[in-house]
Amino acid sequence: MTNKLSLTLTLARKDWRLFWADRRAAVLCFIVPVLLASAFGTIFSRPSSGGAANLSVLVVVEDDGPFTRQVANDLLASPRFDAKEVSRAEAEAAVAHRKAVAVVLPGGFERLKSWQPGVTTEQPELLLLHHPNAAPERQMTQGVVMEAVMKRVTREAFADVLKGDDAALTPPFRVEAMAVSPHAGTQFNSYSHSFCGMTLQYLLFWGMESGLLFLRERQRSVWTRVRAAAVPLSCVIGGKSLATAFIALLQVLVTFGVGYVAFGVRIDGSVIGFVLLAMTACGLAAATGLLVAAIGGTEARARNVSILVILGVSMLGGLWVPGFLLPAWARDVSLSLPTTWALRGFETVTWQGGGLRAALPSIAVVTGFTLLLLLVAALRLKFTERSLRPGQA
Amino acid sequence: MPLPVALSLVDVTVRYAERIAIEAVSLEVRRGEIVGLLGPNGSGKSTTLAVAAGVLDPASGAVTVEGRTRAANPAAFAIRVGLVPQDPAVYDELTAAQNLTFFGELYGLAGSDLRRRVARTLARVKLTDRAQHRVSTFSGGMKQRLNLAAALLHDPPVLLLDEPTASLDPASRDSLFADLTRFRDDGHAILLTTHHIDEAEAGCDRVAVLEKGKLVASGSPSDLLLAKPADRAVLYGHLRTRPPKYLERAITRRLGTGVELEITGRRLRLSADTSEQLGVALATLLAEGIELDAYRTPAGALERALRSEECGAGERP
Repeated sequence: MTNKLSLTLTLARKDWRLFWADRRAAVLCFIVPVLLASAFGTIFSRPSSGGAANLSVLVVVEDDGPFTRQVANDLLASPRFDAKEVSRAEAEAAVAHRKAVAVVLPGGFERLKSWQPGVTTEQPELLLLHHPNAAPERQMTQGVVMEAVMKRVTREAFADVLKGDDAALTPPFRVEAMAVSPHAGTQFNSYSHSFCGMTLQYLLFWGMESGLLFLRERQRSVWTRVRAAAVPLSCVIGGKSLATAFIALLQVLVTFGVGYVAFGVRIDGSVIGFVLLAMTACGLAAATGLLVAAIGGTEARARNVSILVILGVSMLGGLWVPGFLLPAWARDVSLSLPTTWALRGFETVTWQGGGLRAALPSIAVVTGFTLLLLLVAALRLKFTERSLRPGQA
Repeated sequence: MPLPVALSLVDVTVRYAERIAIEAVSLEVRRGEIVGLLGPNGSGKSTTLAVAAGVLDPASGAVTVEGRTRAANPAAFAIRVGLVPQDPAVYDELTAAQNLTFFGELYGLAGSDLRRRVARTLARVKLTDRAQHRVSTFSGGMKQRLNLAAALLHDPPVLLLDEPTASLDPASRDSLFADLTRFRDDGHAILLTTHHIDEAEAGCDRVAVLEKGKLVASGSPSDLLLAKPADRAVLYGHLRTRPPKYLERAITRRLGTGVELEITGRRLRLSADTSEQLGVALATLLAEGIELDAYRTPAGALERALRSEECGAGERP
């Protein structure tokens, strides 16, 4: 037992030395996840006032009527638009280049002035021009246009009642937005999300890299010497896993350390939960690496398939953007991915302020995945090693 | 009185699926002797060495090192064998000392004993001054010496070397054989593979010839060389410089039918149906500006065995 442990540590120490042999590459392993997380955090961060950049909208007026003019003026004055009036041709050119969304008030729009609830059945058209890739902008524009037009129509329809008092058109209720998270008193920090997500993604990439190194090593003659030394396969697997997981743990510490110092990423919940999650995620990285080495075939094949799988599970697991932005089927699929659970766990113990109990399901699921991948990799490696000894039954 | 047998292969057969790589090979190597395993490419030399090192399991037969089988106690078997693969089996990214420390630890060495052995082994292969240098900065000869050192570190009675001179220049090759002679005199049993007849003759105490996976001859090099005259005239030489490929091809065309030219590194093998043809071929080579440091013409069983280049058995697919 002691001998096996000592062999395992020897193999792990060798991998540790190989990792640091190229110091620049090693340092990059720590810098890249920090840069990725910072970039994603910056992209998705919003000022605390909640102000988003105004939408660029072009207004095209093709009807001469006063009602249409008033609607156009309302749109141009909207605080949610950065709007200006242009010709139809200018609007189409700008929309085609995704510079803006255009609202066209066509000829005949003036007929809306005489709209009577329950009486008028005719529906004048209002045209929205948008780039094929600008569906979110179209939706937001449609909402604001709808509000502006309905206000103006209401003013016309109830002119007798209002008697010029525009204040009466103020909505009879107030909308108050309140963020609700599973744990009280927490405040979302986009950097927390990006540091959790990008750290997890990079751990998987490090696992892949470690697996490719192992694959390369096993194809070199140095592996013949290791096999001649009668090192048990369990020690090889143990040593490789230990080294990969330990380096991964350092990456987690460095990445979150920079996140804490530079971007206020904090562990508001259970520190023990965070440590356990970090350890299981590092185990997952090590298991991923072993699986790559075990079933990868050639290095080029293993690299391409691994990149595809890692990017897939990262995207579906919500490591890039929050999961609610994904379609429903993808959200369902994501529940079967370890990345989803690992991210949930990290978010629970960081910005959501959850305790150990709240993080336990994530820890359990990620541990389960780690053990499963390790088992598959170990069985495959054992089969491969046996096939290299042709005399065996 | 002969020294005890250190390595013994008895009726060893290895199969890759349905194909027989080596068949019923029996061979003994005693302490204090160098045995050369000779044969053309694909004859089963590397397979024999791998099975002797315990890297492969035989389908039948037995391999013992000082009376121990690998199946009974893998660790006890492994520590008695030092394997030197053909390509330097060391980590380029690590220093010479780090490499030896790692391989020593694999064999259960540790602490001051390991440090002492690393220093002593580096001295044995004349790499003491490069102990803390990365292997990636080493020349081919230095890498091969470190490759040898890694096999010597745990002081095994049996040393197995797979084509140890394949990538070496003549000076490094001579130096390697000088080292091997010292290790033999220290009591190591050495089994090496080669397909260079002159190496076997000059550096080995005994030679075993493999052909199509079977052991076809064994004995002292001089006995085998004189056993029977060859049925082809052959010349071995050392080139001063290796000619470019295009020139090699042009010369081969000019030599005509019945004459074969092989150049491996700076080694040359020229063979012809008759000695007259061989003389003409040699003259053609010299006329083309090919310079030879030395050449010789062997004969006998070794050469016959080496001639069957397309034997179709032995090496891993």
